[in-house]
Order: sequence, then structure tokens, then C-alpha cells
Amino acid sequence: MEAMEIDSQNILQRKQATYTSMDDTFEIHKETYRGQQYSQIYYTRLHLMRTLLYSLAPNWKPHLPVCTILELEKDRECIVVGTLYKHMKLKPCILDEYSKERSVTPLVKPHNFMHPDDTLVLEDDSGRVKLSGNVLLPSIYVTGVVVALLGKETDAGDFLVQDVLEAGLPPQIEHPLKSGEDKHVVFVSGLSVGGSTSNPLQFQLLIDHITGHLGDEKEQGIAAEIVHVVLAGNSVEFPRGLLNGQNLASKDQSRLSEPIKELDIFLTQVAASLPLDIMPGSDDPANFSLPQQPLNRCLFPGSSAYNTFRSCTNPHCFEVDNIRFLGTSGQNIDDLEKYSEAKDKLEFMERTLRWRHLAPTTPNTLGCYPFVDRDPFFIDSCPHVYFVGNQDKYKTDLIKGSEGQLVRLICIPKFCDTGVAVVLNLRNLECHTLSFGTEFGS
Amino acid sequence: MATTSGNIKEFYRQRKKSGVSKPSNSKISTKKSLKNSATFGSDITQPSALISHGSPDLKDDYDENEDMLRKFDMNMAYGPCLGMTRLARWERARSLGLNPPEEIEGLLKAGKARSDCLWDGRV
Repeated sequence: MEAMEIDSQNILQRKQATYTSMDDTFEIHKETYRGQQYSQIYYTRLHLMRTLLYSLAPNWKPHLPVCTILELEKDRECIVVGTLYKHMKLKPCILDEYSKERSVTPLVKPHNFMHPDDTLVLEDDSGRVKLSGNVLLPSIYVTGVVVALLGKETDAGDFLVQDVLEAGLPPQIEHPLKSGEDKHVVFVSGLSVGGSTSNPLQFQLLIDHITGHLGDEKEQGIAAEIVHVVLAGNSVEFPRGLLNGQNLASKDQSRLSEPIKELDIFLTQVAASLPLDIMPGSDDPANFSLPQQPLNRCLFPGSSAYNTFRSCTNPHCFEVDNIRFLGTSGQNIDDLEKYSEAKDKLEFMERTLRWRHLAPTTPNTLGCYPFVDRDPFFIDSCPHVYFVGNQDKYKTDLIKGSEGQLVRLICIPKFCDTGVAVVLNLRNLECHTLSFGTEFGS
Repeated sequence: MATTSGNIKEFYRQRKKSGVSKPSNSKISTKKSLKNSATFGSDITQPSALISHGSPDLKDDYDENEDMLRKFDMNMAYGPCLGMTRLARWERARSLGLNPPEEIEGLLKAGKARSDCLWDGRV
């Protein structure tokens, strides 16, 4: 009788990839709040983008004068650069609480605050001017976007827009596609561990697949090609009913920390196998305003023992094998959806890239830290992969820029609702999904 | 009408008007150096003789260095001044490529000038 052999000749090795984190600009470091207001971040944003747009203007409309808003003259065609402000009738305003004529309708409408009467205004440090004409559609733009406009001042005192110049996709470092071997990066978001909608078995199945505990050799071979995992926000859901302002009883205290302990147990399994990045989301125990700081390592006593575990900021920028990734946990795109319209989320994502700004609605309707000397959401180098977490559906597209830039856009769906994770192949930037179900057909 | 004692005189105490009246509670500039504090809201009593040496002494005690720094504060090209120290604003102007004048940096680093902008504590 032959001795049973452990198939030691078929040990599969997981593929490796180089990783560089570029989150430095999103970290707060030693910033201290000195009482500044948001005028500083708007000034920095305008200055950065105005310098850029002034350099692009001669190629766009040669021989046309560029002037500031205060220098506008009637009927003289010129180019102005400024920050857009969208005046929205339905946008909730704190003063509505004090208005004498309060109608029966609730003060805050839940979803989209758009109205056909919305108007756009252009502002720079010298003044502001109302915009008119059919070229600039208020439904597309939001407050905080910096653009260059060609037009002339009318008798009515507003600026008739004839053409728009957006900054366009930033320059991209060339990366040769279709070279090398297949390596995969897995994206997951909206795990909501500990919440009522999440199914722990689904997540455990995902972890087992990634760590190679599932399936036969062929399946394990596929799993061995996964080199990195990114958790794009909302990984945990706390029982918010307990947080009602009163002191917690000791049994409630342990109930409160259960979700994060459960998540730590899951993540220890993943971190033991391969590098893992975890980003904070809107429901996670991190600060509220963007850029959200990394989740504290003391929340993950088990997984943070591994050097493969990385707690990252939101937004998160990193490079794997020289392919640049940039992504958020969804707050920037969700906010755009409230104040503008597009045919799908991918179009919002493409707009933020063309405006060269991750979150143009900060600090107007999306909370952000009042930076004084920089605007960290300005995109100066085009990523190869741009992802957004906590969306309703999986969607992906490949967009091209005017200078040959190629960007893979990915909308990562909420795992607790859909059971879907996204897999990206680094060799050719193609995406597919991994879906996990735990219900058996009836 | 609420006073039970008929001590109206005590209630409406007469205040002597002597030159410029100073506001009674000025928490604003208690921590600032007295040398360069603004007149409004400060707790130094204005000297009663506003006219000295035959001309109205309208300047608070700030010298030409402070005047140069105030012009730097008010220069729109370098952005808003409130909420930042002057040196931080100067550094920002330099890193954005605006070439702010070197003398300002010298004045600020020498340490004798006010580090905050002119509106700080006044707005």
C-alpha cells in the first residue's frame, strides 16, 4: 500500500506586487485649527486651477484677452476664470427655519435638490457675475468647480457664456498595458459587519475564496493571483440605537464594540494571507469631514499585528506595480448626485476627473477640513484606476483623455446588499465581479 | 419696573464722559501685546489729549514696519489674511509662486512684529 502523499509538489505561491502609498497629502499630520474659515481653501483652489487654466487658454482660444471679473467690459469678448456657484432654490438653508411663511412641505427634501430655476454665478477674488446663455447647463455643474469661460458682458450686467473650458484629465504617467502576468486586485465596500443587512456567511465565503481555502487547484490558482485587497469604506455598522446620549450599561458597552471585534476577526484572516487596505467610510468610526483619517489601529488588535494590514485615509491613493489607484468611499459622488444630474454614477466620476477635483462640493455641502495652504482634493496626476465605494450597482468603464490617458472607472457596490466584490486585472485593467450568495434555490 | 427698591439713581448710574468712553467688557484683546493693540476694544484708555504737537494724533502706535505688514495683509493677490499668521501666509504665497517681497519675511522672522494679521481679534 502506498503511503498517502501530501501533494507537496503543488504548493501554490501567491503572486507579489510592489506597493507604494501616496496618502501623504490626505493626512492631517500636525495641522492645528487656528480659527480659519473656508475662504482659504477656496482661494488656494482658485489659484491652483487658475494658473492651470491660464496656461491652457492660449491653445483653446488664441488671441483672446483674459481678464478678471472686475475688468469685464460690455460687449468685449474675453476669457474669465473663476469658481462656479450654483444658486439653488431647493437647497436647504438654515434661515428657512426662521422664515415666517412656512409651508406644509418638510424643510429638507431627501434626495435631489435641483430645480429648473437654478442659476450659476462665477466668482473670483475681484467680484462675481451672473452667468447666462445655454452653453453652461446648471444641471451639470455644482458649486466649487473652477472653469474658464469665454463670453461677453451683456447690457443686463450678466455674462453671456459662449464656450467653456474645463481643466480636463490631468497628465498620466505612461503604463504599458498587456504586459506581464495576470495579477488581480479585489475591491469590496459596504460590508457593514455587525449590521442587520449583512450576512457573515457571505463575507466569510469571500475571505475563504481570497485566501485560497475554497475550491480545487484551479480555483486556488485563480485566488493565488490576487495580490491586494481594498476595503472601500463602511466596513462596520454600529448599533446606533444604543447611542442615544445616555450612559451605556456595561452589557450595552460590549454590544457596541461587537461589530468591530467581528470585523477584526475577519480581517485577521485576510491580513494573514495578503496585503489589505481598509478605508474609512461615512458610517465608520472615523472623523466626519474629508479627508477622513485612517481608522485607529487599536480598533484592530488582531489584524494590525500583521504588516500586511494598512489603515488608510479616505480618499486613498496608492500604486501597485506602478499602476496608480485613486478612490473614495463614495461621499464625493453621492454629494454630486444630490446637487446635479447625470445618466449614471460613472458620468459623475468622469466629471470629477475632467474638473481635476475629487470633491468639488467640499466645503459647501460636503464637510472638509479648512486647509489653508493646499487643496488635497486637486488631482494633479491622472490615476490609471479610479474607484468609488458604497454604490448601488456595479458599473465600470474605460475613459480616454485628450493626451492618451486611459482610466478605468469602477463603481463598487455595497456588499451587504448585493454580495458582489470587484476584481481588477492589473495586466489589462479589465474588471469582473465575484458574487457570493448564500440562498439556495427554492 | 422690576426694581423693588426705589433706587433709580443706583440703577441708572451716571457715567462721566471724559474724552473717549471705553467699553466696559473687552475680552477681545486681553492676550494681545499692548504695544500694537487696536484702539477699538482695547483696554488702554485713549489719552485725553488727542491733539499733540499741533496735529491730530490719529495714528495708533504702529510704526512704518507695521504699516508695511498691513499693506501685505490687505494685498488681495496673496489671498485672505484672516485665520492665518502672517508668516504662514507669506510662506503660502511663496510656495504658490507669487514671489512675495523678501523684506516682509525678514520683518516677521525678526520677531518684533505682530504675528497675526491686522483684523485678528477685531472681527
